[in-house]
Amino acid sequence: MTTLVLDNGAYTAKIGYSHEKVSVIPNCQFRSKTLRLKTFTANQLDEIKDPSGLFYILPFQKGYLVNWDVQRKVWDHLFGKEMFKVDFADTSIVITEPYFNFTSIQESMNEILFEEYQFQAALRINGGSLSAHRYFQENNSELCCIVVDSGFSFTHIVPYCRGRKMKDGICRINVGGKLLTNHLKEIISYRQLHVMDETYVINQVKEDVCYVSQDFYKDMGIAQLKGEENLVMRDYVLPDFSAIKKGFCKPREEMNFTGKYKTGEQILRLTNERFAVPEMLFHPADIGIQEMGLPEAIVNSINKMPEEMQPHFFKNIILTGGNTLFPGFRDRVYKDVRALAPTEFQVSVLQPQNPICYAWEGGKLLAENPDFEEMVVTREDYEENGHIICEEKFDV
Amino acid sequence: MPHFGSAWLQCLVRSHDPNQRRVLDSATRQRRLTRQLEALEKDNFQDDPHASLPQLVKRLPQFDENNESGKRRKKTRGDHFKQRFRKNFQALLEEEDLSVSEGPNYLTACAEPSKLPQRHFCAVCGFPSHYTCVSCGARYCCVRCLGTHHETRCLKWTV
Repeated sequence: MTTLVLDNGAYTAKIGYSHEKVSVIPNCQFRSKTLRLKTFTANQLDEIKDPSGLFYILPFQKGYLVNWDVQRKVWDHLFGKEMFKVDFADTSIVITEPYFNFTSIQESMNEILFEEYQFQAALRINGGSLSAHRYFQENNSELCCIVVDSGFSFTHIVPYCRGRKMKDGICRINVGGKLLTNHLKEIISYRQLHVMDETYVINQVKEDVCYVSQDFYKDMGIAQLKGEENLVMRDYVLPDFSAIKKGFCKPREEMNFTGKYKTGEQILRLTNERFAVPEMLFHPADIGIQEMGLPEAIVNSINKMPEEMQPHFFKNIILTGGNTLFPGFRDRVYKDVRALAPTEFQVSVLQPQNPICYAWEGGKLLAENPDFEEMVVTREDYEENGHIICEEKFDV
Repeated sequence: MPHFGSAWLQCLVRSHDPNQRRVLDSATRQRRLTRQLEALEKDNFQDDPHASLPQLVKRLPQFDENNESGKRRKKTRGDHFKQRFRKNFQALLEEEDLSVSEGPNYLTACAEPSKLPQRHFCAVCGFPSHYTCVSCGARYCCVRCLGTHHETRCLKWTV
């Protein structure tokens, strides 16, 4: 009996058998204005030669799975003969869902997994629980940890104690990668070039060029300087999909600080946008979202926990999710949390090698755990008892 | 009469005298802000490329596909299935009826407002700003940015 581990995210799905490696695949469908009549699913994105003006169809809305039509098409593709060739009668599935998932969505997922796809057994679990499981496996002596999952739709901060999540401490900040990309699109469209339709390209710009500043006002000062003294400024060459396939950041030696470039490339000149965009994770109020930022929310969450556990939480802060890949993220979180935490507590912030796949790797370890058989709900259980058994067994 | 003509033309141009410029009240400003934030949640800003295409002929169900494999998928229940599985986020949230439930839930998990003072940035260039537009409440950092703001976004797209 094989186990398939699927970290079903709003932007990418991390999927793989527990005895094989993980694949990171977009969890949506695409339509292109140039290649009409065809809808591309998931990794068929690689077949599109010209991703300009790419139209996204996402099954998730605000982080919750609402559009089952699209999700089933993506899953059909992933489970089918082109990808993982799943033999449903002989496979268990470990699938992630967001915190406080709605009952109707949970029930729909049960139906689709057991009645439509007919998996032999299934386990529905939060992504953060898999990350916590992985962390506790590597650090046997620790009892408590706090998982920060900063993804596409939002950021969750969840304390875990002895493998169970502490529901009172769960905190959600409604800032995620999608918001950062959309904000970057808006400011570039206002200041330089109309790019509101170019989600794919600007997402690439965000990943290549943005970083988290360690001293916000100092960087703001440097960004206002002119010419060569402005160490923050970078020029980004936009792709035109004929000569330049992929956008890239011009190295400083080639930058032209006075006057225009001679070649016909389209250039974006980015100064404060580089660090002001990721700053939204730390200060959502900058843009008008009245919520606390990441370090404040971490400390707030820990303070809701019983006093004797608090020092243990501060010592075990784990950063997961795609947004943590910004350069300087981990150091900034450490600096801000250290400033807000009581001096006698030790603060330690860990960023794993691969924050995107960390939860998937936790799922892989869980599938190999001897207790795994008791945690899943088999298809026979479901057919006899219905949704009740899933509600009781899964702690979502 | 040429002198009278030019003065008359001047009145047609929107006056920059603060006494005569329209000022938005705080409810309108809040509505504008909410609309801007909602726009940031959108997946796409362009239209679906398939929307304008003529309706494609529906593919006929291919019965031979279903008969060859040994195990058959349970047939989905047609319209009922589609109706249930296509609700949008707001409808699902209301279905949950969280106001009557106890304990932590989706709504209580939302982060509280920050205790730190709010920072303001110029709406035009993004650098820290100290001044506010009288009419619409947008922030600006210098007179040049104020000029750009008046020409482009001030009082445009107001509800």
